[in-house]
Amino acid sequence: MNALLTSAVAGLTAGGTYALLGVCAVFTYRLVAVVNFTGAAIGTAGTFVLIALYEAGYPIWPSVAAGIAAGTLVGVAIGYIMTRWFGEASASTKAAVTVALLVGVIAIGLRLTGGQHPHNMPELFPGSAFRMAGVEVTIASVLTIGLAALFTILADLFLNRTKVGLNLRALADRPMAAELLGIRVQLLSLLVWGMTGAFTTFALMIIAPQRSPNFMTLSLLVVPALAAALVGLFRSFWRTLAGGIVLGLVEGMASSIDSVSQYRSAIPFLVVLAVLLWSQREARWDEAR
Amino acid sequence: MSRLVVSNLSINRSELPVVSSLDIAVESGAISVVLGANGAGKTTLLEGLSGIIPVAGGTIEIDGREIQKARPGVRSREGLAHVEQGRTVFRQLTTEENLRVSLHAGSDLDEAYALFPELVQRRHVKASLLSGGEQQMLVIARALLTRPKVLLIDEMSAGLAPVIVTRLMSAVRKLADNGLAVLLVEQFAALALSIGNRAYVMRRGRVVHDGDCLKLLKSPDELHRLYLGG
Repeated sequence: MNALLTSAVAGLTAGGTYALLGVCAVFTYRLVAVVNFTGAAIGTAGTFVLIALYEAGYPIWPSVAAGIAAGTLVGVAIGYIMTRWFGEASASTKAAVTVALLVGVIAIGLRLTGGQHPHNMPELFPGSAFRMAGVEVTIASVLTIGLAALFTILADLFLNRTKVGLNLRALADRPMAAELLGIRVQLLSLLVWGMTGAFTTFALMIIAPQRSPNFMTLSLLVVPALAAALVGLFRSFWRTLAGGIVLGLVEGMASSIDSVSQYRSAIPFLVVLAVLLWSQREARWDEAR
Repeated sequence: MSRLVVSNLSINRSELPVVSSLDIAVESGAISVVLGANGAGKTTLLEGLSGIIPVAGGTIEIDGREIQKARPGVRSREGLAHVEQGRTVFRQLTTEENLRVSLHAGSDLDEAYALFPELVQRRHVKASLLSGGEQQMLVIARALLTRPKVLLIDEMSAGLAPVIVTRLMSAVRKLADNGLAVLLVEQFAALALSIGNRAYVMRRGRVVHDGDCLKLLKSPDELHRLYLGG
């Protein structure tokens, strides 16, 4: 039982990251109407700037700042492609374009970072924050969950209390009507892409030392992130936050059970399947009638 | 004194010409009414003017400044407001939030409520829950708050009861009387001609009549002939 609890708590860091990536995916979807498959890849690009600078001997915190700036820029660049050439495309077309971009970013990233070549990823927040039921809870766990909760609260406040947030909600509802009113649609869209790029990069910098830090592995964290976003039905920030944390806990627990540990990477897919079946139940019921 | 001048304008859809060699002018304090049967190119004309679709040729000038190559947002900031067909309210926002989106320096929510006092009681209601007439009032009031020089309105009567259409038409007349230049595309010909100053009738993407609204209103046979051709 204690082993299960220890594993569950160990999954909290991953859960916090899934939650933050998921909340960023919801933010992007709600405001610029894109199911973004490149979310984690954007953060990975920024994280590898940190790794490259750290390995070259630069001090850690300026390297972190440079990495976040790089992640923001990659986010803005992908946002520019999406708004400039696919602004009026359908949701499915936009999603397909981000899948294509994901493949491209991974290919370039693997080429530049030496594929599976091992890297020296600095642990930004080592050590234990506190003990809970005899289990050490790491600073990284507390920080990723805190960051996800902070982003959720800030996103809520930003959208509901500021003029820019109001304009973004209008933009999400009817982009052309918003542009006809003189709203700077492209600028606001790039702001969304840049903000999510910065937060995603920081989250991945925290989790990277606990994962295999290669470009592909980190970029594919988009799968559990989108599973968490699906739990919130791509609308609710708080449900997405909870979905991401629970997903991390379940993954952690699964790792301590021998018979299922080798299948634990399939858990996000099971969540996606379950949520899709649940959300489509009324349509299937109507069809059956 | 503001003026929209459209010269030799051509607009294509899917590479097929929909509007060809079109000349139109609208001035402050006046309503120019654009009439025509379905498929005449009226909506395409407004979409080309506001930048929703690109123009293939010709010029669009507001107060002497050419805007035909600018994006819709830039045209809006140059003083062009477009009330689209289909009552394009921001559905998830309340009435007041819809208005606040378009608030510009120097504009005030009270102006919108003065034009349509009906909206005051509905200011905290989600726009998707407003009636068709209220939604139409909202999009006109919303456009007004961008401080436009020229207001383009597309088919505001579609699907509305005659009493609401009359209410909207009188509000549009009031806006023109306050100095706005209005280009009104309308199927409800008689009512539009009764509030308009200058009438254009379009057929197959071209202007086939340019004249006084009242004169055309008094000649229903002429209007019928212009619509159908021959």
